[in-house]
Amino acid sequence: MVTVGVLSLQGGFSEHLSSLRKAADSSAADVHFDFTEVRTPAQLAVCDALVIPGGESTTLSLVAAQSGLIEPLREFVKISRKPTWGTCAGLIFLSEQASATKRGGQELIGGLNVKVHRNHFGRQMESFVTDLDLPFLSQSSSQAAPFPAVFIRAPVVDEMLTDNVKSIGERLEGSIAGSQKPPATAAKVEVLAILPGRHASNRKAAVGDALPVSPGGAGDIVALRQGNVFGTSFHPELTDDTRIHAWWLAQVAAAYR
Amino acid sequence: MTNNDAGSSIAAPAAASSNGTASTSANKDNKTPFTVKAGLAQMLKGGVIMDVTDAAQARIAEDAGACAVMALERVPADIRAEGGVVRMSDPGKIKEIQEAVTIPVMAKARIGHFVECQILEALGVDYIDESEVLTPADDAFHVEKAPFSVPFVCGCRNLPEALRRIAEGAAMIRTKGEAGTGDVVEAVKHMRTVKADIARAKAALQEGGDLAIRALAREFGCDAALLRQTAELGRLPVVNFAAGGVATPADAALMMQLGCDGVFVGSGIFKSGDAAKRAKAIVRATTHFRDAKVLAECSEGLGEAMVGISVNSMKPEQKMAGRGW
Repeated sequence: MVTVGVLSLQGGFSEHLSSLRKAADSSAADVHFDFTEVRTPAQLAVCDALVIPGGESTTLSLVAAQSGLIEPLREFVKISRKPTWGTCAGLIFLSEQASATKRGGQELIGGLNVKVHRNHFGRQMESFVTDLDLPFLSQSSSQAAPFPAVFIRAPVVDEMLTDNVKSIGERLEGSIAGSQKPPATAAKVEVLAILPGRHASNRKAAVGDALPVSPGGAGDIVALRQGNVFGTSFHPELTDDTRIHAWWLAQVAAAYR
Repeated sequence: MTNNDAGSSIAAPAAASSNGTASTSANKDNKTPFTVKAGLAQMLKGGVIMDVTDAAQARIAEDAGACAVMALERVPADIRAEGGVVRMSDPGKIKEIQEAVTIPVMAKARIGHFVECQILEALGVDYIDESEVLTPADDAFHVEKAPFSVPFVCGCRNLPEALRRIAEGAAMIRTKGEAGTGDVVEAVKHMRTVKADIARAKAALQEGGDLAIRALAREFGCDAALLRQTAELGRLPVVNFAAGGVATPADAALMMQLGCDGVFVGSGIFKSGDAAKRAKAIVRATTHFRDAKVLAECSEGLGEAMVGISVNSMKPEQKMAGRGW
């Protein structure tokens, strides 16, 4: 049996639990999954994999700190390297660096060697739904239909970080995942999905950011993986489409086979 | 299954143009899909939304872990004390608060005042609260909310009222409670009434199917399709927060245990002795709402709570919850 936790401090955790259960029910895999809410270090300790949902990333990190979860989460993600998936605020939490954070910064777990830009598209008025091609889904089925991707005050990956990352000029408003433990992993960052440049005109929020990933404005990175850590800017749990949940559960099952 | 798990089956109401599997087409005519409007509320669940009147308070709220702030000129307790016509905030104040924090900023418009809503939309607020705390501008109609791109939250005292607001386009509901009193009794009453109404709708659907739902919808004065959807889900079809009188961590946890998805705190924080400490404690209590040990810890040593007014001692015309229908 594989126990999959959903960090349930704040945000869309019940939607993830529901999508995960639906995906597991319709899966043909021989693995039995158990799904559980995680609010304490003791609840985290029994998990083999974890989803960090969307919500407000500032709230998530403050409540995680109050609940004594920051170091256990870093251990889970970076030392034990258990499969972990973050959506939206969860992606921010799992990044080594974030820009446009709240004054005074905010605590991150890290695990993805990237810098994310919070509220990249702007305020709620700039939130949107768009059909997104997800090439990684087509490995399991012949021709994957586009995915209805819901972006809500969403972050995107702004910058790939290298090992000498800390020497790159840091922004005053930015946050860095503080940890004595190294994020050492041989795994490279894989870009899994790009949002085409339809929102190029909407990039005002990103103007002035150093080293954009795609200077040509080819698009924004909205799904990525590095070893055990998977991140999406958008919210698959807000749709009836469980393909990404099913795909991730298959990755989790493979890790424990 | 916990109370919160019930939230998993939230889908866009039948009255809205799109459902859970939204498509891009709705975006092209510059109409925000309901999934996106209701989705932000879903991301606020399990969180605390705090009333703030300036940038300094907004920063205290953000630092305490608020998942959003409500920008307003005076908190309800002061509105109550000072009286007069209460309107939308000065846009300058709202901008100042938007500059100060990175979390969503909500703002209040008067019931029925669609031009205040247009102004708030132009300011780029993240949510509009069409609120009985301000003086109503129309005694016959609430704002037609569906055509706006910005999402709306509205108060309710019972299920029919909630479904009327959702039919108008509200993407989030809250109890009305009795704002500015620090007395949680009305919020509890409204939440219990919504739950009892939902139980009636469920029973009607099971026993009499569509016919019984239509009869109940006539009695309730609400949309039959939304009533049916509520009966099927066993909960409101959008996120439902507690509001109106929440003043302590225990109040917040009480509302969460009663099945609310999150909590609005108005006067309770900045009318108390140590606002930052109380704000943090209420955030923690809202996450760990079932853990009495944590609740005991975060209830300790918070200093003076807001003095408050017992709702029992109020005359009907002093109550705000009666505004709107």
